[in-house]
Amino acid sequence: MKKKLNLAPALFVGPHLILFLVFILIPTIYGIYASFTQWNLAGSPNWVGFANYKTILFDSDSTFHMQFFNGLKNTLLFVLFTVPPLIVLPLMIAVALSHKKLKGKTFIQSVLYLPGLISISAAALIFTLIFNKQLGVTSNVFGSALAWTTHQPYAWITIIVLTIWGGIGGNMIIYRASISGVAEELYESAELDGAGPIRRFFSITLPSINFPLIYTFVMTTAGAFNVFGQPLMMTDGGPQQSTSVLMMYIRQLAFGSGESIAGMASAMAVLLGLVILVISALQYYVMNRNSN
Amino acid sequence: MKRKLGALATSVALAATVLAGCGSSNANDPNTITFWTPLTGEDGAYMDNLVKQYNDTDPAVKVKHVVTADMYTKVSTVLSSGKGIPDLTIIHADRVPGYVKQNRLESMDAVMQAQPELKEDNFLPQAWGAGNIDGTQYAIPLDIHSNVMYYNKELVSKYGADSFLEDDNVTIDEMLSLEGKLDEGHYVVNDALIGWVILGQIQNLGGDIQKDGQPDLNTDVMKQAILDVKKLNDAGLMTPFGEDGYLMFQGGNVLFSTDGTWSSTAHATVENLDFGVTNVYSASPDKFTNRASSHMLAMFNNEQRTDEKEQGIAAFLEFLRSNSVEWAKAGQIPASKDVVESPEYQQYMQSFFTSTEKETESLYIYDYEYYSYVAEAVDKYAIDLIRGNIDIDEGLQAMQQEVADKIGQASGGAAAGE
Repeated sequence: MKKKLNLAPALFVGPHLILFLVFILIPTIYGIYASFTQWNLAGSPNWVGFANYKTILFDSDSTFHMQFFNGLKNTLLFVLFTVPPLIVLPLMIAVALSHKKLKGKTFIQSVLYLPGLISISAAALIFTLIFNKQLGVTSNVFGSALAWTTHQPYAWITIIVLTIWGGIGGNMIIYRASISGVAEELYESAELDGAGPIRRFFSITLPSINFPLIYTFVMTTAGAFNVFGQPLMMTDGGPQQSTSVLMMYIRQLAFGSGESIAGMASAMAVLLGLVILVISALQYYVMNRNSN
Repeated sequence: MKRKLGALATSVALAATVLAGCGSSNANDPNTITFWTPLTGEDGAYMDNLVKQYNDTDPAVKVKHVVTADMYTKVSTVLSSGKGIPDLTIIHADRVPGYVKQNRLESMDAVMQAQPELKEDNFLPQAWGAGNIDGTQYAIPLDIHSNVMYYNKELVSKYGADSFLEDDNVTIDEMLSLEGKLDEGHYVVNDALIGWVILGQIQNLGGDIQKDGQPDLNTDVMKQAILDVKKLNDAGLMTPFGEDGYLMFQGGNVLFSTDGTWSSTAHATVENLDFGVTNVYSASPDKFTNRASSHMLAMFNNEQRTDEKEQGIAAFLEFLRSNSVEWAKAGQIPASKDVVESPEYQQYMQSFFTSTEKETESLYIYDYEYYSYVAEAVDKYAIDLIRGNIDIDEGLQAMQQEVADKIGQASGGAAAGE
């Protein structure tokens, strides 16, 4: 018996598949290929095998080795500084907003969500002005005598404040939706059994939103590894390259001034991709195992 | 089934539309010269005006000005694919040698033949020279934009620094003589465009950034240039590290500001800021240099560019040569001698830099093939070296290494390390 061909699923996923192929899969494969070449973007790539990876990973005299490890260190610092607050703060806010007696929930939610809609460049411009020594609120209202963006640890603080300000809204919405789906009876019965708010949070809320938590944790971490706009706009990688994240080096090598060094940049990008892949897999594994 | 086919067709059409939107239109229109520029700022509007004025003359082939953000990346893309290559492009002077080496630029011979006034004698020499590689003209200059030094007339007068300006050469020693004489919150100079300042000092000290085609940054001259400027920092005469020296100048707290010719338009909008312009300060009492660049008009190789279009491009370039006083409004120094010698141009502040032969010579354009890498490294390290944040020998070594490594990676680049 001949099986009838069913086109319906293909129709639904088709457009997405085409866009995925054109904008994600093919460029990714080409990027991996480029990482094994010396390429200036305009001419033909020149195959060099693992030379770029050897230079980046093992040639300690090379600028690219220094850039990769300095960039990776700073990227990891950014991840460590921003991911925990981007999980904990939205969760706390979402829990607070789920309180029945709270008024103006929609307004508060909108105010917190709005920064996430502003482009990172525009937001960075606003914060550059806030921390500007001549024009900024920090100096004129609070009397700070610091040049924030050129001195550590303040340079990191400006980047972290901007990132948290712009990032809490997205996760908060996910937690709000998940918490609203938790059965009210669970809380009521726990309350009857004498469980306080903290116990209810850890014994009911957290286990009930396990999957959204894993999802936001993995996605927020992956997003943080790809950080670029905030340090570029706020500190330009300074002071002394202490906020130069890996994506900034990659961008500068591939699309900086002068002839492009796209092969080396691609190799760095592939290595960054591998780091993100491994960490995301670990996160997923650890959190999923604990939840089971 | 019909419904499914319809849905499929819609999906494909939708995807095709989205993808088609990524392509470049107009690039091969025979009746339009597609003109790409990286002029994303206020200068883009002045170029729009020039293009509009030209199109109003009813030329045979009209010009379409496309301000292209991140232009050099897009140029790489279109050159790589061979599709959508613009007919005419503004590139910076330091890009010319690299593109010529890659055999990407078409000679301007045909354009110059079509318009005989597009010749060396009619342009500022260093701007014209920046487009000439081994005797072939690959680009026609539009302007020179340079590092300059603005001064606050009121503060200069208050601190008796008028005499510094008399010979048009403010020396570092003269600036240092103000140590201990300034009110609190006042500074002699800011650190705007400090990388360009250092590149100018190298010329003042008789040095260069390359030797026999190899980068040469870890040198005594570079060290001296940085140490000379560092004296201003160490004496507390430079605006504090990390502060916006440009804004501090506009706020009336700094005597001298080393930014660009183009900043005059922004400074002019500041109320109560009475300012003038002079050469960037120098360590030498005998020589001053204003590190400059140039916007160059060039044609990337493109088989689809017709002879008619090349004639049209020639006519447009001749129009720019004759009418680029409009471009002076953007704070630029037009490269056309006719324009800089015209009475109309003398009203612009930057005319100071073409007022004498010595001034014109002070506008220095680096033509080293890997200048972009050098400038990037100098910009990255100079500020920390001047501020004493990193050891000078380590910094110079890092700069040298970075440029050498990049050249080693650039296609066809000779290994160039120490």
